[in-house]
Amino acid sequence: MDNLTAARATMAFSLGFHIIFASIGMTMPLFMSAAHWLWLKKKNPVYLELTKMWMRGVAILFAVGAVSGTVLSFELGLLWPGFMRHAGAIIGMPFSWEGTAFFLEAVAIGLFLYGWKRMHPWVHWATGLTVGVAGFVSGIFVVAVSGWMNAPAGFEWLDGAAHNIDPVKAMFNRAWPHLSLHMQLAALQAVGFGVAGIHAFLYLRGKAPEVHLRALKIAMAFGAVASLAQPFAGHFAGRRVAQLQPVKLAAMEGHFETSRRAPLYIGGIPDEEARTTRWGVPVPGLLSLMAHDDIDAEVAGLDQFPREDWPPVAITHVSFQIMVGIGMAMALLGVLYFVYARRGRFPAWFLRVLVVFAPFGMVAIETGWVVTEVGRQPWIIHGILRTRDAVTPVPGMVWHFALFLVLYTALAIATVWLFKRQIQAVQNQAAQNRRAGQEQAAQNQTGQPA
Amino acid sequence: MIDILIFFIGASLLLYVLLGGSDYGAGILELLPCGALREKRKHVINEAMGPVWEANHIWLILVVVILFNGFPRIFTTLMTALHAPMLALLAGIVVRGAVFTFRHHDAVQTGGSQRVYTLLFGCSSLWSAFWLGIIVASLNRGLIDPAAPDAHAAYIAPWAGLYPLALGLFAACIFLFLAGIYLIGETDDGALRRHFTRVAAAANVLVVASGGLVFAASTLEHESLPALFLRTPAALAALGLATLLCIALWAAARARRARHALVTRVIAGGQVTLILLGWWLLYAPNAMLTAAGPLNLYAEAAPPATLRQLVAALLVGSLFIFPSLFFLLRVFKTRGK
Repeated sequence: MDNLTAARATMAFSLGFHIIFASIGMTMPLFMSAAHWLWLKKKNPVYLELTKMWMRGVAILFAVGAVSGTVLSFELGLLWPGFMRHAGAIIGMPFSWEGTAFFLEAVAIGLFLYGWKRMHPWVHWATGLTVGVAGFVSGIFVVAVSGWMNAPAGFEWLDGAAHNIDPVKAMFNRAWPHLSLHMQLAALQAVGFGVAGIHAFLYLRGKAPEVHLRALKIAMAFGAVASLAQPFAGHFAGRRVAQLQPVKLAAMEGHFETSRRAPLYIGGIPDEEARTTRWGVPVPGLLSLMAHDDIDAEVAGLDQFPREDWPPVAITHVSFQIMVGIGMAMALLGVLYFVYARRGRFPAWFLRVLVVFAPFGMVAIETGWVVTEVGRQPWIIHGILRTRDAVTPVPGMVWHFALFLVLYTALAIATVWLFKRQIQAVQNQAAQNRRAGQEQAAQNQTGQPA
Repeated sequence: MIDILIFFIGASLLLYVLLGGSDYGAGILELLPCGALREKRKHVINEAMGPVWEANHIWLILVVVILFNGFPRIFTTLMTALHAPMLALLAGIVVRGAVFTFRHHDAVQTGGSQRVYTLLFGCSSLWSAFWLGIIVASLNRGLIDPAAPDAHAAYIAPWAGLYPLALGLFAACIFLFLAGIYLIGETDDGALRRHFTRVAAAANVLVVASGGLVFAASTLEHESLPALFLRTPAALAALGLATLLCIALWAAARARRARHALVTRVIAGGQVTLILLGWWLLYAPNAMLTAAGPLNLYAEAAPPATLRQLVAALLVGSLFIFPSLFFLLRVFKTRGK
């Protein structure tokens, strides 16, 4: 593995790892606050149990998210000094706001986790909500950096250096709105479906069914709404990419030849050498319609761009297809969820489907990021600076990659193992509660006649 | 503008050393034997560090963000020449950040897993503290050389040597000292308080000893640190005062008054502040010394437009952060509920 490949692999792996925990860290506190609010309002202990269950999950996942985020802030310089030398001064602004929001989040999580009985219940509730809101806002900020890499703004590039830097323009770049909207919805969706899937599984196992059903409903309320909004956000994002990065759009769609009434491929594997996409099902004119609102519009193909400016077409296209496929399936499940929620009963097959779907939201997030960032290649700043010119001169990046591969794999295994223990404990506790309840009921019965 | 940023970097570094440092120290402290008090000590450390753990950690991130936003060349030079120690530090931070939380929130609180967490927490804390010291030592050795002829000179020589090794030890001792002093006030258990006091006293001795080692190593290998201090009277005064305050510290620690936890904390915090201040006075306003000369914070700052928004973000951010931090401390650090 050469240095550039190893550096890219490290970045992809660290980001891909962090994004799972970051997505959970910025959405699950919102679910938790919803459960906590219901507890404070309705005083049904099931909601308290649920709040505490989710709180423990949030605590563990937040810690992993925080350390993997720290790693990323260093990695920018460790792996891409050639990028940060220019970009630091231009696009540091969203980082500083993200840092602020994250600081608030870190204070709030300390208050929430350890603050039971130490403050007014509603103040305590507000600290939990602050964790979610600050996390959500920090997510919006940090995506501005990716937006800028894809649609650079706020500087003039002369002789290999940036001049007339305007950090505000850089932050409010043209890709930020669609990327952050798409990402935040995706996080709600993926975590909503992920949490709902786990609780559907536990509900079907039959221990403590009440708490799991309520958990499923709260998580799906977020996940289903987001999954219905996502196709619109995704369409908006696609149109923006068509304007800002036509070469990326062409790669996403496996669209090699510029044409009018351009077809949209469903499936298919692009072959860069043969300049064609094989085995896909073309829907004539749909790409033109989606990208430019006109079935006869011309859509630029990869042939419009020099070969050295192409992103890896097959990876981008296949990732895009996976993401869209999962998104569509989730939208459908979102509709079904509302149908069954109105009827007040979820059929077992639907719950089983939710169980199966638990990890797919995260798969969609990962493949979506592959589309965004692999689709940006070979540039690290689109059209300005190539990735290969930004990589660190330090040799042996393959060892750097190996270190994080081992470290993060161990961390992932430990996290899963901890969650198994948590769930086990919840199940045992529920069984115990039920036994205690039965004994109580039995005692009441024997006690009453006397 | 640049002065405000330098103030924020300095303040964040100081707070990271004081607050994050006692978190590191708590980990190191848990490696020390304490017989039957083990479980209780673990509990006290969980309760004392848990609520502030994440907040304490952010000061480091703040320094990184200010550096790469406001001083990009300093940041990239640092991350290139000191790639290896930075990576070592990160690995430690990942492990300790994860296991500290895992230990507290694991559903199973008995058995071997807790011992594994504690061991990992302790080792990774010691490891990270050590590398943090190495990084700090490497800044001003003049061996950072972006134009170095070979990989060894460029990426290993800047941080390999006796002086960084000594400063790594010194950092670990300082953190242990801070943790000991901090934890005394976090428990009402007499035996545990005595344990923490003994640790703090031993750490204080170790700080002085390893400080001597730092001086000796610097004299052996590059510019003599004692000579540098002698040329900078203000720095010498700060260091001298920090040393003299040891007397006040242990006098206060012996007087078992109710408020002595606060007094000893303030004195110990003041000592570490003075040491950092002395170190800053030695080199200010240079961030680091490269083979081609010093990198001056004023000369390396980003364009004014960037600095303006960075300062704005920091000031507006402070409006949110300081009240919330104050609230955090008020909720958890007011004793005698």
